[in-house]
Amino acid sequence: MGIHGITKIITDHAPQAQKTNEIKAYLGRKVAIDASMSLYQFLVAVRGQDGQNLTNDSGETTSHLMGMFYRTIRMVENGIKPVYVFDGKPPTMKSGELAKRSDRRAATKESLKEAEEKGNQEEIQKFTRRLVKVTKEHNDDCKKLLRLMGIPVVEAPCEAEAMCAALAKSGKVWAAASEDMDTLCFGAPILLRRLTFSEAKKLPILEFHLDAILKGLELDKNQANLGILLGCDYCDTIKSVGPKTALSLIKKHHNIEEIIKNLTEKQIVPEDFDYQQVRQLFLNPDVTDPKEIDLVWKKPQTEEIVKFMCEQNGFNKDRILKGIEKLEKGIKQSQQGRLDSFFKVSSEPNKNKNKRKNDEKLDKKTKVKSTKAK
Amino acid sequence: MLEARLPQASILKKIVESVKDLVSQANFDCSDSGISFQAMDESNIALSSFLLRADGFDPYRCDRNLSLGIKFASLSKILKCAGNDDVVIIRYMDDADILSLVFESPNNERISEFDIKLLDIDSEYLSIPDQEFECKVKMSSSEFSRICRDLMTIGASVVIDATKEGVKFSATGDDGSGSVLLKQSGSIDNEGRGVVGTSVEMVEPVSLELSLKYLNNFTKAAPLSDSVAINMSNGIPVMFQFDVGDIGYIRYFLAPQIKDDD
Repeated sequence: MGIHGITKIITDHAPQAQKTNEIKAYLGRKVAIDASMSLYQFLVAVRGQDGQNLTNDSGETTSHLMGMFYRTIRMVENGIKPVYVFDGKPPTMKSGELAKRSDRRAATKESLKEAEEKGNQEEIQKFTRRLVKVTKEHNDDCKKLLRLMGIPVVEAPCEAEAMCAALAKSGKVWAAASEDMDTLCFGAPILLRRLTFSEAKKLPILEFHLDAILKGLELDKNQANLGILLGCDYCDTIKSVGPKTALSLIKKHHNIEEIIKNLTEKQIVPEDFDYQQVRQLFLNPDVTDPKEIDLVWKKPQTEEIVKFMCEQNGFNKDRILKGIEKLEKGIKQSQQGRLDSFFKVSSEPNKNKNKRKNDEKLDKKTKVKSTKAK
Repeated sequence: MLEARLPQASILKKIVESVKDLVSQANFDCSDSGISFQAMDESNIALSSFLLRADGFDPYRCDRNLSLGIKFASLSKILKCAGNDDVVIIRYMDDADILSLVFESPNNERISEFDIKLLDIDSEYLSIPDQEFECKVKMSSSEFSRICRDLMTIGASVVIDATKEGVKFSATGDDGSGSVLLKQSGSIDNEGRGVVGTSVEMVEPVSLELSLKYLNNFTKAAPLSDSVAINMSNGIPVMFQFDVGDIGYIRYFLAPQIKDDD
């Protein structure tokens, strides 16, 4: 999923485009979250002690609800204003990738059967996790829950990450949140990763800035070209063109048309390499006009949430009520303004290069010092 | 190199104590005019900035502009080792990765020396425009601390209303509400007797809602100064200023809470 090797390229060539931050730093920010990706994470990660998904009395999975409820509360508690964007129809161009995925599923199913016969618990768990699939019911459950919680839900006509990017581009939200780096190819100015991860993982949030990436890579606006060459969900890549070659080819020729004309013998263009259409997809994705979307955060409907979560899905009432309380408190907090919306942020005025040491050097010196002290 | 001798360690101690819970680290910018820093809290809501002018030190020497990254927790621990009346000498040798602090007891019989490791901090710097505030309140800093503490028991935020009559602080919570009104004191000659009155200077009445959690953090600077200046305009961050004698100041900026209707 996503674009191969892009994170490494960014770290190598545009380190200033990537920041890590605690979740607190996003107070007051509106963020569009790729819901499908989060749902998938929840179904994989939220499990009972037996390693199975949580279920209600009638045996339906409820892991996604649990994840959606608590992770959303965590964000709101930290002053973030989330918007969830759900997938519409997959684009036709993705059919190749989707076919591959369903092949892999079939193979995993076989392996699972085998593991079950052998009784290898570890393998069984591994393969069940891989077989997780987000269904329409899961999506509908979450939309219902979110609406009850007063969180805006956007239904994308097509790919959710494209819609997230469009919302961020239009300024309706500050950033897009997804694990999928495709979102940058769709033109999201800021991408957040790990936003919906569990607090227990203690992973800081990764923040990517598109303009700084393009600047660092010395590229023009056409981020889509690089995405296509590196390999995205929509078409195959040119043979023997890895991330490094892809970057240098783009710098040299600026567009894929020219690159194809100048390939070496070894570099073979795959069959049905429909880059023009994919580029179209990235540059003019099928999205609703953000102007038509009205994002409103409302008060949570306590009674309805309790009815849905506790009576229908068997969650503990006290915990859910506590959760709602946190949610209400968090909503109040999100009214807090941010200083950087009043004052202009600049890098430091009298930056002094000389005193900046790299950490390695500092460590070494400290070590020397501490041995001396002994 | 930098060498700055501060006659009273207590000033530095109080400054560090008043910011260390708000921001964890900052770059100390040293130039021939003095030492200053600016740092934002991790949620980007509040900013603390401080300045000690070169003439507050005796002597003061800074050959070129320096930016020294310091972790407040470490600095605070080291400063706890200094007596209130000790003299502090802050010393930095060019291209070193440590800052030295020397404490001398008043009778010069005890000299202690500590080194603090410097950090490489990439902090964002906010440029704060010089602005005329619509309303300037000056009041006793201990009174301000007390009000913030009292209202914290009621609610999470305080509404400050400044009018010609005076300044009113009010809070509302789940269990009730409360308010404190300070009237403008008639005369300023109170100050001579160690009592700081309240004065309000205004172009326009101002009403702002602020987070009490942050205000209670700012009040840690109250020991530095008898009075606090609260400079406000509607809809923009508030500035609180505590003067450090006549040699500098510590300022806090706090973004107001915004009624959501955008």
